[in-house]
Amino acid sequence: MHDKTKRGRGRLRGLAGALVLALAIALAGAAALPDEAFALTTNKATARPNEDGGDGVIGGIATRLTWEGTVADGEELSSITLTLPDDASFADSTTRVTVLDGLNRINQDSTVSASGNSLTVDFASPIPADSLLRLEVEGMTFPSEGGDYVVSGSYVNDQGTQQLQDSPAISVIANTPLQQAVDWLDGQAWVAAWNANPFLGMFFRPQLLLTSFASLAPGWVLCLVIVLVAYPFAILLGLVAAFMKISRHRLLRAIAIVYINILRGTPLFLQIYIMFFGLPMVGVNINNNVLGVIVMAINSSAYLAEIFRAGIESIPRGQYEAAASLGMNHMQTMVSVILPQTVRRVIPTVTSDFITSYKDTSLLSSVGVMELMMFSKNLTTVTGNITPYMAAAIFYLIVTLPLIKVVGIVEKNLARSERGGGPRPKAQAAGRASEQGGDDEGLEVAGSSHAEASDADELPGALRALVAPFCAHNTFGGMADAE
Amino acid sequence: MFTRKQFVSASVGALVAGTLGACSSNGSNDGSAATKASDDSYTLVQSGKILGASDLQYPPLSQMNESTGQPEGFEIDLLAALAEKMGLESGWIDPIKFDAIIPLIQQGGKADVGLSAFTITDERLKQVDFTDSYLDSNQGLVVKKDLTDDAEAYLNQAGRKVAAQSGTTGESWAKENLPNAELVPLDDAIQAMTGVSTGLYDGCIADLPVVSNLTLNSYTDLTVAKQIPTGEQYGIAVSKDNPGLTKALNKALTEIQGDGTLDELKTKWFGSNI
Repeated sequence: MHDKTKRGRGRLRGLAGALVLALAIALAGAAALPDEAFALTTNKATARPNEDGGDGVIGGIATRLTWEGTVADGEELSSITLTLPDDASFADSTTRVTVLDGLNRINQDSTVSASGNSLTVDFASPIPADSLLRLEVEGMTFPSEGGDYVVSGSYVNDQGTQQLQDSPAISVIANTPLQQAVDWLDGQAWVAAWNANPFLGMFFRPQLLLTSFASLAPGWVLCLVIVLVAYPFAILLGLVAAFMKISRHRLLRAIAIVYINILRGTPLFLQIYIMFFGLPMVGVNINNNVLGVIVMAINSSAYLAEIFRAGIESIPRGQYEAAASLGMNHMQTMVSVILPQTVRRVIPTVTSDFITSYKDTSLLSSVGVMELMMFSKNLTTVTGNITPYMAAAIFYLIVTLPLIKVVGIVEKNLARSERGGGPRPKAQAAGRASEQGGDDEGLEVAGSSHAEASDADELPGALRALVAPFCAHNTFGGMADAE
Repeated sequence: MFTRKQFVSASVGALVAGTLGACSSNGSNDGSAATKASDDSYTLVQSGKILGASDLQYPPLSQMNESTGQPEGFEIDLLAALAEKMGLESGWIDPIKFDAIIPLIQQGGKADVGLSAFTITDERLKQVDFTDSYLDSNQGLVVKKDLTDDAEAYLNQAGRKVAAQSGTTGESWAKENLPNAELVPLDDAIQAMTGVSTGLYDGCIADLPVVSNLTLNSYTDLTVAKQIPTGEQYGIAVSKDNPGLTKALNKALTEIQGDGTLDELKTKWFGSNI
């Protein structure tokens, strides 16, 4: 009731003075309305967005028009006609008529006849005063050139036919190239045949695949941005945690163990919930995407810490001893001997973890981060078809498949270097000398002058170690040629 | 295609199923039980039992009992009452996400009916059949209790976040009527309410019976700031290949409306009025 009178009053301001008076009396429930006044107030007219994955209303494609009006006090309504500009069409539309008294439905028989750009609803018995009338016209189309459209029309009450108040304008956009491509696909015989197969039609509907790619793209970009921003932080945090865990100080070790174990021992999903719902409760309001980056970075850091720790510990004792024998202190040993070798060893595992993190961004969809899964979920909901999920799968694979390939290459090169074929010229010679020696005890000092002939000599030690697994070995120093 | 496949006499069904392969026809042909040979016959996934699908996240319509883990709520009782009239048992499959229910019913083979506060809309009618309505409903706009502004105007501003369960009529209402706000589609209404309560979102929208119940019992810091009269009607979703089941359910629905069972259930779960 409250809303209705308020809306009614809102309309009044726009009317002429005499009408204001007349309507005010009518609203106060005093007397029947004079003919000129609106016995039926237009509350609103909206159209459902029909842009796939977007929120625009596109002309020329079926949408749903919702028109809502309130019958004034002391009035009854027996018929209503909605009219749109010439090129709009109500043909093939179905109309849902809802009559409400407050929140309660009133069952009202009605017949709907649609022709061209107008639609008429006749009520078997007049709908009572004060009731809210809603017409939902599913499957109507706006003119394809787009523009702002006003729903006008007329209604019949006991006084005869009256002009309907114009509705607020509905903005309609012209057809998009994407939608045109979809329309073209709609008309193809092979598409129809393809979709007739329940499996193909449900999982790989061509039209939907096309619109999915377009509308999922922003989500895909967000996924990538989140994981790419999060990962450097994760690596830093992971390194810190790894060093703390192998530190000699008991307290540091304890902190690292608690940190790593709690994060590795609970599902990421739960961590996301705790951060997204918990932080706002204590008054910390961070942008959803930034929070997503933070959660992903923290979660990954625990896994990376373990990977780094294992990597560091896998470097043979002999490397430390050899470094010590050269008079290096702990810091020097770590930076120029141990870490470069570690980096190389952990690259495959870190890449795998990166892939996992990238895929895990999908969990953020559950808390409203507009990433890939979120977009595909919405699209699937709207269409009742699995194709958007398949499009999402393709988007994930675009990134993960090359990375998986990279891991494979790195692992192969690593295996070769562990066997003694690696980019360590002098050490390799030593390794060959001991033949079955297995563990290579020769000291590797990254950036030292072993590979003077190589172009890669210019690279700083750590970077060299980093790229080494990707390079064919003979580019690193001349010794491999001797094989 | 579907209609032909799943609901013809056994011989044709087997033939068509054979040609289509195994991708979607399982369940509807095997393990199904045709009750009568007439036009009104229907198939069930499990013989003698009508299986419902719901997300069980929509109290008081459907929820999981906190202590027993069993489904309970208005819709659970409703299906049981309908099943009794039809001489069947009622059962529920494990809760699935709301937006997956219609596709699941459409594909068939897992559950017989989708009963999860589905408003009958023309769009959904393209995918599944609906029984007659068993409950009228409206939408409710939920905000924090201390908000004094008009909720609709407050939410319809750039930068405001409005949460809704994805695929619901509430979501599409928000899309159409709050175009300036950012709409956040979530998996269920509870999540949306939690988000509003913690300040993650500025408001949320869901079916009125549900938000009334939740603001009264669980989220006392929130309020239904605006009741949106949509007059929507809940129906039971049934596969288009199973028109006999829709008919039988409608018959049972008329019966429980006639003998007062439905009103009893409404009073039991919603109090005097909803």
